[in-house]
Amino acid sequence: MAVSAVHLESDAFLVCMNHALSTEKEEVMGLCIGEVNILLSKSPGLFTQVDTNRIVHIHSVIILRGSDKRKDRVEISPEQLSSAATEADYRLADMTGRPMRVVGWYHSHPHITVWPSHVDVRTQAMYQMMDQGFVGLIFSCFIEDKNTKTGRVLYTCFQSVQAQKGSEYERIEIPIHVVPHEAIGKVCLESAVELPRILCQEEQDTYRKIHSLTHLDPITKIHNGSVFTKNLCSQMSAVSGSLLQWLEDCLEQNRKSIIELQLEKERLTQELATM
Amino acid sequence: MAASISGYTFSSVCYHSANSNSDHEGFLLGEVRHEETVSISDTQISSSELLQVVEVHNHEPCAQLFSFYDYAGQVNEESLNRILKDRRKNVIGWYRFRRNTQQQMSFREQIIHKQLTQLLGVPDLVFLLFSFISTANNSTHALEYVLFRPNRSRYNQRVTLSIPNLGNTSQQEYKVSSVPNTSLNYAKVIKEHGAEFFDKDGVMKDIRTIFQVYGALQDKVQSVCGEVEQSERVKEKVQEEVNKLKQQIVLRKRKTTDEERRLQEAQNPELRLTPEENTEPPETALLSRVAFHTPSTPERPGPSANPPAYSDLLSLQNDSLLPFSSSPTSAALLPRPQAVGSPGHPSPSPLGLGLSAGPNPAPSPGQEDDDEEEDDEDSSEYENLVSEVGQLPPVSAIVLLQGRPAALSPDGDASVRGSQT
Repeated sequence: MAVSAVHLESDAFLVCMNHALSTEKEEVMGLCIGEVNILLSKSPGLFTQVDTNRIVHIHSVIILRGSDKRKDRVEISPEQLSSAATEADYRLADMTGRPMRVVGWYHSHPHITVWPSHVDVRTQAMYQMMDQGFVGLIFSCFIEDKNTKTGRVLYTCFQSVQAQKGSEYERIEIPIHVVPHEAIGKVCLESAVELPRILCQEEQDTYRKIHSLTHLDPITKIHNGSVFTKNLCSQMSAVSGSLLQWLEDCLEQNRKSIIELQLEKERLTQELATM
Repeated sequence: MAASISGYTFSSVCYHSANSNSDHEGFLLGEVRHEETVSISDTQISSSELLQVVEVHNHEPCAQLFSFYDYAGQVNEESLNRILKDRRKNVIGWYRFRRNTQQQMSFREQIIHKQLTQLLGVPDLVFLLFSFISTANNSTHALEYVLFRPNRSRYNQRVTLSIPNLGNTSQQEYKVSSVPNTSLNYAKVIKEHGAEFFDKDGVMKDIRTIFQVYGALQDKVQSVCGEVEQSERVKEKVQEEVNKLKQQIVLRKRKTTDEERRLQEAQNPELRLTPEENTEPPETALLSRVAFHTPSTPERPGPSANPPAYSDLLSLQNDSLLPFSSSPTSAALLPRPQAVGSPGHPSPSPLGLGLSAGPNPAPSPGQEDDDEEEDDEDSSEYENLVSEVGQLPPVSAIVLLQGRPAALSPDGDASVRGSQT
């Protein structure tokens, strides 16, 4: 049963965009958490036909570490999938009150076309083997048309099917809609602030491996230590700092909105009372 | 001139735009710096160039359209101050998000821009235009953005907007081996003096220090995040209460008009009218109201014409899941036909449009497309405000996006969307 459409909550969309725009030098990826709704509808006509529509509803995303640092490959390790599934089961289910699970994955294509590569299509086909309804999202960013000075961000949703000839896979397009969600959910906020932590963890792991090499002379060790410091500084200014600024702006905007909403509430209460 | 905007601010604008049921606009706050670059060329020993750098720090979204200007494009300074308050001095530009439109400023936007330039006292006020287009089957969407500086000459109006990011994570810069060196003196000197950098555990002191900085920063991020989460919940709650009150007012108003009409009919039996939609249960009446709501004057729907929230509509679906009702379920399949030039109210299509959400929907007649080319730019806003349920996505969007490489040629754009600046 193919997926009819994907509904992506706007706060999950926000986190995906944040993640995709965090770096233009490599592809980032994550998992989509949500639920699948199956809707039955009767198609009009003489003979009643029941259409089964499978809608994948994405409520939040989990940012993942890149397991393969090569620029053009994104694959999620089984361990990552397993731990994300666990997180979806316990943490997210508690918060939304409904069972959630991993329903798809997303990754970014910086400076590249939004369409999935052959590797992407094959990876997607592999995920579909364990879950037919698994969907793939791609965010293409840092695209610029130099002539018109137009920047572009694109996103697409796809699944894979076996090609008619041969054993290759080809993509099928799945409609995706960003569904408004007026407030940013707790889960999405927590996912968003995970990014600096994940980046730092990656840096630490790399440095630890380097640090364990005992044959390096002090100058090289100082060099490596400085590279770590430099990279962490870069992360702090480009990611943590910007994130903190955005959070503070959100807070300020919310304070103002709440005041305005309170005023409107009073006004409406009065209006209702006079009716 | 160069311009930059943080990825978080950019995503936030996209988020607010996705949540709005019409065009979305707001102000850009930040600062303009002047950077001097000195270069040496064969003809001159030093030539310095002054580069104007526009940095967008954050944005101030407007809750609705026409919040600081009227239909004639007249800016109201009082409303402007109410929206901006003390952030007025940080305004460096404003932005607009539109769906399925051309990448150029509309006439109203131009006149508003002129007034804002004067009122805010920013001679080089910028305008950031976001336009959103989708393929016919809604599987791929594109958000295009252009930064204009309309106060400059006609020919140099567009500025490249960059999004600073992490860039190169540079993990390749770690050295896994030292440069081979057999000099004992070298080894001795660097060991003796290099020891300053390391603590007794052999860990570089700098690393501990920078890690502390990082830890403190991350803690602060977490705590502010917690505060934001709380404020979001409070905002959600108050918004819900406001929505409930609005609904109650609508119901109350309808009750009174019903009663008045019944009274009239009782007094004048010959003027008896045919039963209207309002005899239906409230929810479906509201739905059909939204579907048929095409006012002749471009009036923004007031609080009384509050469309049902997406969540309400979906709960309506879940309740009536098994009974095979075709019209509500098709609405749930297409909750946001926003990319289609509609205002994005979940159009319930009681007209039985039968719009399919499957992977290969029937292509639509591109009737919308021709109108848009010829229309005055002003009307694009009304199209986005007012619900016209019969709208279908323009075919041009398929041409625009299918198989198109990331780098575009101007011709490709021009042929689809008409004139470009």
